[in-house]
Amino acid sequence: MENGAVVLGGRTIWKSASFRIEPGTITAVLGPNGSGKTTLLNLILGLVSLSDGSLDVLGAPPHRGNRRVGFMAQTRAADTMSGMTGRDYIGLGFDGPRFGWGRDKAKRDVIRRALALTGTTSFADQPLRSLSGGQRQRVALAHATVFKPELLLLDEPLVSLDLAAQAEIVDLINLIRDTTGAAVIVVAHDLNPLASIVDQVLWIARRQVRSGTVDEVVNEAVLSDLYGHPIEIIVTPRGRRVIVGLEEEFAHPHPHPHPKGFVHGDESAHSHLSEVYEEETT
Amino acid sequence: MTLSQLLSTSFVQHAFYAVTAVALAAGAVGYFVVLRRQAFAAHAIGHVGFAGAAGAVWLGLSPITGLLVFCLGAGLLIGVGGASLDESDAVVGVTLTAALGLGVLFISLYSGYANATYSILFGQILGVTWGDVGLVAALSLGVLLVVSLTYRPLLFVSVDAQSAAARGLSIRTMSLLFMALLAVTTVVAIQIVGVLLVFSLLVAPAAAAQVLTSRPLRAVALAMTIALASAWLGLFLGVWIGGPVSFWITALASSSYLVARLVSGMRVVRRRRVFA
Repeated sequence: MENGAVVLGGRTIWKSASFRIEPGTITAVLGPNGSGKTTLLNLILGLVSLSDGSLDVLGAPPHRGNRRVGFMAQTRAADTMSGMTGRDYIGLGFDGPRFGWGRDKAKRDVIRRALALTGTTSFADQPLRSLSGGQRQRVALAHATVFKPELLLLDEPLVSLDLAAQAEIVDLINLIRDTTGAAVIVVAHDLNPLASIVDQVLWIARRQVRSGTVDEVVNEAVLSDLYGHPIEIIVTPRGRRVIVGLEEEFAHPHPHPHPKGFVHGDESAHSHLSEVYEEETT
Repeated sequence: MTLSQLLSTSFVQHAFYAVTAVALAAGAVGYFVVLRRQAFAAHAIGHVGFAGAAGAVWLGLSPITGLLVFCLGAGLLIGVGGASLDESDAVVGVTLTAALGLGVLFISLYSGYANATYSILFGQILGVTWGDVGLVAALSLGVLLVVSLTYRPLLFVSVDAQSAAARGLSIRTMSLLFMALLAVTTVVAIQIVGVLLVFSLLVAPAAAAQVLTSRPLRAVALAMTIALASAWLGLFLGVWIGGPVSFWITALASSSYLVARLVSGMRVVRRRRVFA
């Protein structure tokens, strides 16, 4: 993306965003709720247009229905519906958009391959509703990768999973990247569980987007500047970094001349800053 | 008249063909109504149809004309206003109330015999003419054809709207298409079971089918089968024992849902025993 800006409903979501995502890398998109992380995915999917700047997706302008881009939605009605097995849902990833009566003979093999890649074969024929959260995410990853996309977009794949399931899904994302060579973009609200596999970070806050390696973005200078508030990063004895917002800043709200973006999403921004982030220094 | 004589009379034969066409269309469309949790929309469209039919009767037109105009209109309104399934509830509610108000007005304006109103509300299966059968069959066939051609995209949009949109499907177009299908199906179902009992063929068989199987295509086939069985048996019982046919159809369709729940409950118990 070159100097990209998005305006939705008269409101600037973010602007002056420039970044590049290399094949075979994993990029984490972080930032407070409502900062425009999902908007970024919608841009790449061609569901939203840039109001300024330019965006290239795999060498072409973004367009809807691009099979080279895989997408996993955060919430899917299928998960809680009766009458849908993993196999059915993955099958819709293959021919769901197609009208007409024709059946594609390749479907069985494609589904079988997706099931094998994601380790979902053993529960593919059970209703999605009866599966665990981690199993459903695996099925959704299979759905998103049926066409072996070159770019894979994952919207909050770790949300509401327990720690063990989170680790499993992170390993699976890494495995998919390694076997398909796809570039992966993961929207998350917590860098911690992803830190071991992430090559690049896009941090969105106060209508700005910062990109770089974890070290380049997740440091006191960049994050303090991004949020417009002092942020401290503490290194734990085991070499992890803990990110905290400084409390006295919150006791005196709006002391600065630039509270706009921050105050807009103040609830989420506060809770976001108060959350403790850890991540490996090595 | 003996039973076999009764069954061979022309009005029972007309009813048989009409009920067959309606049951198949309602079973198939009903699957998506239940899947998309739009039973309220189905309910509302039926009641909007009441206003349309009452208006047509007042103007001296055939009720089915008013039904088609009003049901399609309401379907498109709900489809546009509530394309995202989250906001549809309020849109449906407002549409429903507005139409019912109109219905009350039309009935008060129409000073004729209340029989017309009664048959709109509760169906008039044994009064179906050959002309009605032709129209009902054509509309039902049309619905089945469109459902079969759009089955996969409809399913995709219903179970994962965001991914479907990312893959190039228009949520709004699909929502409109579905509401149009629902409207036409409601119109034909009203001919048989009336406004108040449209649900019996549209929702109960599909709900029963979804309890019994977890595969979409099987559930559609099963919903159509249950609707057809309820309709045929209901017609037969109505002719044989007496009582309104729409009562029998409703009773059978609702019972099928009850039985489905019991069967699936027993399956769960059995499975638990195996693992215990």
